[in-house]
Amino acid sequence: MKNKSPSSRAPHKLQIARRTVQILALVVALTIPIVSRYANYISARELDKNLARFEGTAQGRALALLDTTFRAMPDGETERVGRIIRNRDVILARTQGFGGGPWSGQIAGVSMTDPLAAAEAIVAHKRLPWVLVVSLVVPILGTLLLGRVFCSWICPMGFLFDLGDKLRSLAGLLELRPLNIRFPRWTMYALLGAGLGLAFLSAEPVLSYVYPPAMFTREAHGFVFANFDRAEEGSLGLNFGGLTSISIILGGIMLFEAAISRRWWCRYVCPGGALYSLIGAARPVRVRLVEDRCTKCALCVPVCPMGLNPMHNEMGMACDCCGV
Amino acid sequence: MSKGIKRREFFGRIFAAGLSLAGVLGVGRWMGGAAAGERVPVIRPPGALPETDFLAACIRCSRCIDACPNQCITAFTETSGLEHGLAPGRGQRNTPAIFPRRQACVLCQGAPGDVLLCTAACPTGALVPIAKTVDSILENVKIGIAVVDENICYSFQGGACGVCVRACPFEDKALRAGMWEKPIVDEEFCVGCGLCERACVRYPQAIRVELLEV
Ligand code: SF4
Ligand code: SF4
Ligand code: SF4
Ligand code: SF4
Repeated sequence: MKNKSPSSRAPHKLQIARRTVQILALVVALTIPIVSRYANYISARELDKNLARFEGTAQGRALALLDTTFRAMPDGETERVGRIIRNRDVILARTQGFGGGPWSGQIAGVSMTDPLAAAEAIVAHKRLPWVLVVSLVVPILGTLLLGRVFCSWICPMGFLFDLGDKLRSLAGLLELRPLNIRFPRWTMYALLGAGLGLAFLSAEPVLSYVYPPAMFTREAHGFVFANFDRAEEGSLGLNFGGLTSISIILGGIMLFEAAISRRWWCRYVCPGGALYSLIGAARPVRVRLVEDRCTKCALCVPVCPMGLNPMHNEMGMACDCCGV
Repeated sequence: MSKGIKRREFFGRIFAAGLSLAGVLGVGRWMGGAAAGERVPVIRPPGALPETDFLAACIRCSRCIDACPNQCITAFTETSGLEHGLAPGRGQRNTPAIFPRRQACVLCQGAPGDVLLCTAACPTGALVPIAKTVDSILENVKIGIAVVDENICYSFQGGACGVCVRACPFEDKALRAGMWEKPIVDEEFCVGCGLCERACVRYPQAIRVELLEV
């Protein structure tokens, strides 16, 4: 990516775009289970009742917002007996276009699955069904072209861990000195291999249970569903009872990164990152050093969250094209 | 750098990597339910592969859960299984399960599409797509089989109830009413949807879906 204003320290346009996409991905991941519950209420003909019951609470607002959105789409409403009503069938069919999360999901009908999910299902089940191939098209093509962009643009955990990084800088300002232990970089490839090996032998997934996007997808579902279940039972308002050990583990990783090893998970451990790195090894779009414009100021070196050395063009496979 | 420091650094790196590896894989096995031991019999959505294959193919993505218009599929966890006396065994945590007493499969009646929605949503083939015609459902859906406990069913105990029979989507085929509304299940036609169990007025339920022998 060409850097048109090398001297500017203000956030680059690319960074603004990246943050926007990250936040959008996070919102979508939380919205999908709400869409599912919304469709359930429509099917059960309970939407209007629940809209009234939940009014004023977070659940009620989310439902109302979805309802307005789906109704506003073409053919979202019809007229019957002189009254404008929701077009049930059209809306229900549309809600079916959404499901899952960043692990494997469907957005507006396009199915996408994390290559790591596919890899693990293939080695554990020893089969490769067509549905899986189809939902791999977008992620694999994207990675072949751009490398680990999933990590820096979409992964909700990449975003969370980015925030952990900010926590680190904050600690720095407070004159605390967070440790920064460097682990060997091949750990992630070893983990990818060992995890797939274990999945092959035990015929059960292992990495699916510790891969942050997968954990996040499940936690988002658990959280949203628990909130709606409770609302249905009459305890309105947001509550965090649906959170599980997953949140503790993810929070733990974030704190570990802030205090002990910068971006430990994404740099050294993440098996999904490892797979994305391998797939994107030969990508044509990459961060390159424009030799004759480099002033050798070396500002780029500490900035790279992945701990790479852009000044010497040592980006390799691990670079996630974040463009910081 | 002297040789000793270099060697120490080398072993330090191996140690750090090994620790990360063992820790992550250990947490993964634990999250999957390794500590819980044996697998427990649990009802899967329609079209599910046999349990062992199902656990291998399913990526615990929740897409079938999102797709179900009746929200009858739940992620199998300690919390969701509690009411039904079940806790996930090895490799079963977060897998999609149906607890008919909570919510049963309505075979996507009144829902869009011509394939059962959960099977259409599955990205891995852990649920095999099933067309939504009567013939295809009768032939391909085998979630389990309804079994009546004559010791507690009202109709076998002197009353005449028959609520479950009215709830069955294949009334008179899969489940018909005998003398005094006694429910009689025909194994050939019962798809195991669980609507009878959901409807049973007895508590605990006198008719329940049980897994087929595998
Ligand atoms: S067939 Fe339809 S109603 Fe039954 S579990 Fe699947 S999605 Fe739900
Ligand atoms: S959609 Fe398929 S892979 Fe995903 S949780 Fe359901 S059964 Fe498993
Ligand atoms: S007997 Fe029960 S489980 Fe079997 S098809 Fe009828 S309602 Fe469904
Ligand atoms: S609903 Fe329950 S109690 Fe009534 S006939 Fe059926 S199984 Fe018996």
